[in-house]
Amino acid sequence: MLVVGGGLAGAVAALAARARGATVLLVRRSPGATALFGGAFGVAPDLDALPGDPLLGRRSPLESARRLAARRPSHPYAVLGVHDLDEALGFAGAQLSVLVEPADGRPRFLAHVSGGLAECGLCLHSQAAGDLRRVRGLAVVVGFSGHLGFDARLVAAGVGRLTSAGGPRSAAVEASFFTGPGDGALRPFDLARALEAPGAAEALGAAIRGVLPRGASVALLAPVLGINPAARVHARVEAAAGLPVAEVVSDPPSVPGLRLDATLLARLAGAGVEVLDGEVAAGGGPGRPVIVAGETVEAGAWVVATGRFIGGGLVRRDRMAEPLFGLPVIASETGAAGLTLAGRSPVSLTFRERTAAQPLLAAGVAVDPACRPLDEAGEPVHARLFVAGALIGGHEHAADQTGLGVAILSGWLAGRGAAGEAT
Amino acid sequence: MKHDVIVLGGGVNGLGTARDCALRGLKVLLLERGDLAAGASGGNSGLIHGGPRYMLSGPKVTERACRDSGYIQRLAPHLLFRIPFLVPFTSRRERQSLWERAVAYATEVFFSTYDVYQPLKRGKPSVRLTAEELYRLEPGLRPGLHGAVTFDEWGIDAHRLCVLNALSAKGHGADVRTWTEAREVLREGGRAVGVSWVDRVTGERGEARAPLIFNATGAWSPAFARRQGATVKMRPGKGVHLVMDRRLSDYAVVCNAVDGRMMFVYPHQRESWIATTDDDFYGDPDDCEATADEVEYLLEGAASVFPSVRQARLTRAFWALRTTLHDYGPNEDALSREHELIDHAAEGAAGLFSFVGGKLASYRAQSEEVTDRILRELSRRPVACQTHEEPLPGGEAVADAAALAARHGVARAVAGRVVYRHGSLAGEVLRLCDDDPRLRLLVCREEGILAAEVVHCVRHELVRKLVDLRSRLKLAVGACGGLDCARVAAQLTARELGWDPERTRRELAELLEAGWRERRAVLSGAQLAQEELLRGAHWAVGA
Ligand SMILES: Cc1cc2nc3c(=O)[nH]c(=O)nc-3n(C[C@H](O)[C@H](O)[C@H](O)COP(=O)(O)OP(=O)(O)OC[C@H]3O[C@@H](n4cnc5c(N)ncnc54)[C@H](O)[C@@H]3O)c2cc1C
Ligand SMILES: Cc1cc2nc3c(=O)[nH]c(=O)nc-3n(C[C@H](O)[C@H](O)[C@H](O)COP(=O)(O)OP(=O)(O)OC[C@H]3O[C@@H](n4cnc5c(N)ncnc54)[C@H](O)[C@@H]3O)c2cc1C
Repeated sequence: MLVVGGGLAGAVAALAARARGATVLLVRRSPGATALFGGAFGVAPDLDALPGDPLLGRRSPLESARRLAARRPSHPYAVLGVHDLDEALGFAGAQLSVLVEPADGRPRFLAHVSGGLAECGLCLHSQAAGDLRRVRGLAVVVGFSGHLGFDARLVAAGVGRLTSAGGPRSAAVEASFFTGPGDGALRPFDLARALEAPGAAEALGAAIRGVLPRGASVALLAPVLGINPAARVHARVEAAAGLPVAEVVSDPPSVPGLRLDATLLARLAGAGVEVLDGEVAAGGGPGRPVIVAGETVEAGAWVVATGRFIGGGLVRRDRMAEPLFGLPVIASETGAAGLTLAGRSPVSLTFRERTAAQPLLAAGVAVDPACRPLDEAGEPVHARLFVAGALIGGHEHAADQTGLGVAILSGWLAGRGAAGEAT
Repeated sequence: MKHDVIVLGGGVNGLGTARDCALRGLKVLLLERGDLAAGASGGNSGLIHGGPRYMLSGPKVTERACRDSGYIQRLAPHLLFRIPFLVPFTSRRERQSLWERAVAYATEVFFSTYDVYQPLKRGKPSVRLTAEELYRLEPGLRPGLHGAVTFDEWGIDAHRLCVLNALSAKGHGADVRTWTEAREVLREGGRAVGVSWVDRVTGERGEARAPLIFNATGAWSPAFARRQGATVKMRPGKGVHLVMDRRLSDYAVVCNAVDGRMMFVYPHQRESWIATTDDDFYGDPDDCEATADEVEYLLEGAASVFPSVRQARLTRAFWALRTTLHDYGPNEDALSREHELIDHAAEGAAGLFSFVGGKLASYRAQSEEVTDRILRELSRRPVACQTHEEPLPGGEAVADAAALAARHGVARAVAGRVVYRHGSLAGEVLRLCDDDPRLRLLVCREEGILAAEVVHCVRHELVRKLVDLRSRLKLAVGACGGLDCARVAAQLTARELGWDPERTRRELAELLEAGWRERRAVLSGAQLAQEELLRGAHWAVGA
């Protein structure tokens, strides 16, 4: 079996197929959108919840996904069904257990660097202590006095908006840190690397301990606690600070995104999936050989998980196109599923309000419930051709907080389906 | 407080007049409903050109523009950059026909006539280029051109020109209120005696009084005047520009749109722009946006000289309305670029004057003329105009970017951009880094914006809202759309202005919204992937 694309969708497909005994080759050109995600695995936000609703009573990701599917018929959750969602999340959580907290069927609420909130189904270990549904008492957001990139006050205010819903109280403090001459100009990756150095994480922990107000139950930090998981920055800071420590959700450039990408590659290798750096060109397909990085590759089943515009799964020059198979690209989010949007102008596929759901950015291929792409007539293109992840249309994956949930569900379904067909 | 003059509109004409009035000792209040240069003064082609186009129909326009262009170079040398133009000789055939040769000759003669005005603005004389010379300069031009004639113009950051006029006016005692909309002209016995206004940020309402009201609300003025029972006749013309992420060429190239209209593709600062459409516009100026059809029209015209524009990365389309004088009949292009000052006395509003028409390049002369009239109307003794000599803030001297970079420990390229924007005040901006090293944080790598510059702007450049940084610094305007800079700039601005976190997030959402409006018509290729990234970055910033 061949998987094209090494984001979360491709990786989950490869691992799910491997778990079913298939021999899997994964080809990827570069890191994709997955390496940019902020750390919170969005599965399905609860569209009906009001800000003041008690956090403890909030719906599970599965229930929210079900409601979302009922309301948005072109969303992948509606097309694929969500009955396997919990199992797929459980699988992904277990595969990535070095980095990710196990799924427990409950939603998590994490603070975001912009002062917003992320509702997610899975999160990183380094974020778990910051789940506002569970924190009691006082959440203290800690800024670095020598660096202006992270605004503790802004984040604390975001956390404070949930206090009345049963979330913790919040406060902002500044730890005297990153005060060296050039530190003010450092970027998130530089900060993360600096904290990997021997003694740095401990020094940060001590600085935090020094400024914590009484009664602090968790310290929320900028998402820069090391890139390399082996440096154990999070655990070291926590030990030195003497209380639970959590990273908030990042915006790009995202250190947690890089960590996830590295973890996926390590896990694929560990599971015996062969990974090839390279590009798959058009012309191949199930049973049809294709040349990748100089090697001829032939596979009985294909999973195409090439992502959306960032990944390169879709391109728009004069027209919108799926470059590998020329699959038809559909519009969605408008309610008019199936509308062919290949040749339409960007203006006619977007709304004036930025925050509206934008059909142009929800473009993608249509699939059947088994993740097989559909042709113009609505028939599967090939019995052993599957797609997964952001390439599937009908959701604005980067902005609607279902991107990684869809990647996991569709990757899991496509991988199992392809393994079944390939063996 | 009582003022001598109330100026309505913070475009280049309102601001230039406010500055001139202030320099001549009048108490001025200027009201602008949005940010400075929110209208045509921000959305124009950014050329301080002499308007060779008007040489035949209105040589006065050309001469005035050239002379004033020369002055502007003296007032704000840091803001201007030379843009040499090429007018290629086109032919549909292998060899030029007799007619085409005649046109080429006429073009050459035309620009040698324009050469007469060039010394007024330190322009270089025109040169006739052979085909070989032309392709050596611009190898990306389509094959088959038979040579070209050059002419010389100047580009400018028009937003900053407006900001500098506002700062100078304020420095000389004027009250400049942005985000404050003039509502009604107050009248007493056939005279205009003041205006009521509303502050669009705080919701505060108030009245201001003055014996003279100068309405320079550009394309909004017909509707504004109508509300006051007065008439301003205008034929607003919509102009759209396309922007590329980098410079496509070193020279500006004149070309023709499908309908024969003159257009150009030219480098402007670090980008290339395609200018422009010109269509009558009957709608509400606030609804104006670029359409798919305008984008295609411009691309088609540009591709007729640079076929590779089809592969270029478009980052945004911006638009504005020309405030052209009304005339029934002529095509948009053929409308006069002259200006007019309308006296509304006969409509029962003595003391109310409206400005129509004109050009950015001639704003100073236009403002001088208006100020002369204002002094007369107020029966003041004439005071000599100084706006052709008195430098704009930062225009006093040219700062040495390399020395500043070394002194303040910032990258040379960054110092260069700070010098471009702030001229002799660049040292003041960079000194902030010495006092607070955290302000060395590079907020935008594309424009070279340091945290220090954001702070300087917010403190000294009449910033009331985060979107104001778009015009001051081009923050979140470029290809990246604010990916890196938006949140950090919001945080810095909030610190300076004491915004609470809710306000900060609202401001951030508005900043992103403004960029989206300009990008939405051109989302394709890499820019579409960038939009996906941007939406992924900012989903947590709600409306
Ligand atoms: C900035 C940002 C923030 C986000 N934040 C969140 C968030 O907080 N929560 C959330 O749930 N979701 C978030 N998302 C969305 C989420 O990251 C994506 O939906 C998800 O990662 C998509 O995964 P994917 O595997 O389908 O695609 P990608 O990760 O894009 O992977 C596509 C892969 O295909 C490869 N590829 C493409 N074409 C070829 C080819 N021809 N040959 C070989 N390889 C090829 C690419 O190189 C890449 O490896 C965010 C997205 C962005 C951009
Ligand atoms: C597409 C295009 C390209 C151009 N290119 C060039 C060029 O390259 N060179 C050149 O010299 N000229 C050029 N021009 C012309 C030049 O831009 C204009 O002549 C000039 O900017 C007009 O300035 P203004 O102050 O009169 O109007 P504007 O700049 O439109 O200012 C009017 C202001 O009034 C404000 N306002 C409206 N209503 C109210 C109210 N009720 N209360 C308070 N404020 C209000 C608006 O927000 C606006 O800021 C171009 C024009 C266009 C449209």
